Amino acid sequence: MFPEAGGSASFAHHAFNDTVSFISGWALILTYIATIAISAYTIPPYLGHFWPILKESPAAGTVLSMAFVFLLMIINVIGIRESSIVNVSAAIMDLAVQILIVVLGALLVFNITTLHAHIVLYWPSWENLFVGIALAAVAYTGVETIAQMAEETRQPTRRVPFAHILTAVTVLVIFAGIATVGLSTMSPTELATEWAHDPVAGIVHNLSIAIVPHEMAVKWFPAVEAQIIVTWVLTAVRELLPALVGLLAASILLIATNAGLIGISRVTYFLGRQGFVPGVLATIHPRFRTPWVAIIFFSAISIVLLIPGFFAPKAFINLGGLYAFGAAMTYFLAHASILKLRDKYPALHRPFKIGANFKIGGREIPITSILGMLVTAFVWLVLVITQTYSRWVGLGWMVVGLGVYFLFRWRKRHISNKITSTPTSFNDSQR
Amino acid sequence: MRLEKILVAVSGKDADEEAVKLACGLAKKPKAKIYVVYVVEVKRSLPLDAVIESEIAKAEKILARAEEIASDKDYEVETAVIQGRDAGPAIVDEAMEREVDLILIGFTYKKRFGVFNLGRVIPYVLEEAPCRVLLCREPMA
Repeated sequence: MFPEAGGSASFAHHAFNDTVSFISGWALILTYIATIAISAYTIPPYLGHFWPILKESPAAGTVLSMAFVFLLMIINVIGIRESSIVNVSAAIMDLAVQILIVVLGALLVFNITTLHAHIVLYWPSWENLFVGIALAAVAYTGVETIAQMAEETRQPTRRVPFAHILTAVTVLVIFAGIATVGLSTMSPTELATEWAHDPVAGIVHNLSIAIVPHEMAVKWFPAVEAQIIVTWVLTAVRELLPALVGLLAASILLIATNAGLIGISRVTYFLGRQGFVPGVLATIHPRFRTPWVAIIFFSAISIVLLIPGFFAPKAFINLGGLYAFGAAMTYFLAHASILKLRDKYPALHRPFKIGANFKIGGREIPITSILGMLVTAFVWLVLVITQTYSRWVGLGWMVVGLGVYFLFRWRKRHISNKITSTPTSFNDSQR
Repeated sequence: MRLEKILVAVSGKDADEEAVKLACGLAKKPKAKIYVVYVVEVKRSLPLDAVIESEIAKAEKILARAEEIASDKDYEVETAVIQGRDAGPAIVDEAMEREVDLILIGFTYKKRFGVFNLGRVIPYVLEEAPCRVLLCREPMA
């Protein structure tokens, strides 16, 4: 429909007005900043497999996280070409390993009794359940980036919807599987404390303990030759899987951090070009041809957000809540834009239309958008009411942003009015 | 060989002059149309339609020079600035869109770490272009 960069800010611009577009874009920037911070923050725990101090010492981990953000900032200011082959290969390998974890978990450790016990004994309060649902939005980090790619993909009308649906299904299936395996291998308390920052590493650790190569080989295969081979394979899996997960997770999180930086600079450029934020944020470096001011500015904010990592054990939850705060606002406005566009431009060519629509006054209204608005509004309210950090930092971010927006617009209008009302020397000479 | 449309990809190097002249020479008899394009490579941190004024000014200067060279050969060319992530795919996409019969690229002789090097764009165009590709290599310095 609108194959252009800007994501939900662009949709809101077409559907509503400049102010709503700005709110959506500014909230999207918050999600990207949180994405950068969360992704960078969780790299060191996974590398802790190789260097335990990165997991044991919050200070060491946080310093490394900040270093990663700083390094990626430099790389993106210079505009070093990234290899799409590396990105795609890492994503495929990561997906393959996660599928392997789910399959191994199903074969080796899945225990319905243990799973049931863990769910029942550790069932959360209603407040924690709702907060957990809200924070689960972090699992979909990056999905907003798909819309930003619409303008540069061939056949966007086919590929963008396909990418969205594939992402939703893949994340749901894989993480339902991972969660099931996780709760079969350890209690929620263990998962939320010792392995809070590297849960997949925790699951794999416990999975590895459950692998007893020779015993399993003898149980499954009567032939001695097969037992030798299977013992060797299972030993290799047991030894290599934790290291592989550590390495892959760290690389994927680094790619995610970079994707956050790229996303933020694109949205900022869109907002700058629309005149919603000071043009300096959309400044392009004359030599590197990159939006260096935006990259440095928002990288700095991400690094500041990481500071609590030195001393606050809840830093990760706070960052997750902040991401969900911004994401809920952005997705709420995206759903609202869909509804508004159905009313504003009913005849607009829509190459992809999700099903389950009902008609009101001749307009097709998608039920999914209404549900989406309700759920995202609910998530946002839960976070604002229950999470102090998300409430004050998130609302503070929006207030500051709107303040800058209205001030900037007022100044622009003021300067423009001044120019049009001042008599020109030509007019003077005519008189 | 059917020659109705030729695409010349210029990059601001000295080799562009020979490429444009060659295109004019080839196009004269069949009265082929010549498109001269310059690709602005947009970094991933910017949207694809970002306006990079310095690059556009540079592109316009290079294309104006190409028009001058063609005019000296009594030929008219159509010029265009294309924006893409990478020059190679942008050139191939443009060639496919315009359904050209020939892509012509001039390049300067260069070595990298002592080995002759075609760069990044030419191998891509050679591999992916659906039409004929003619390379015009400058003499060694």
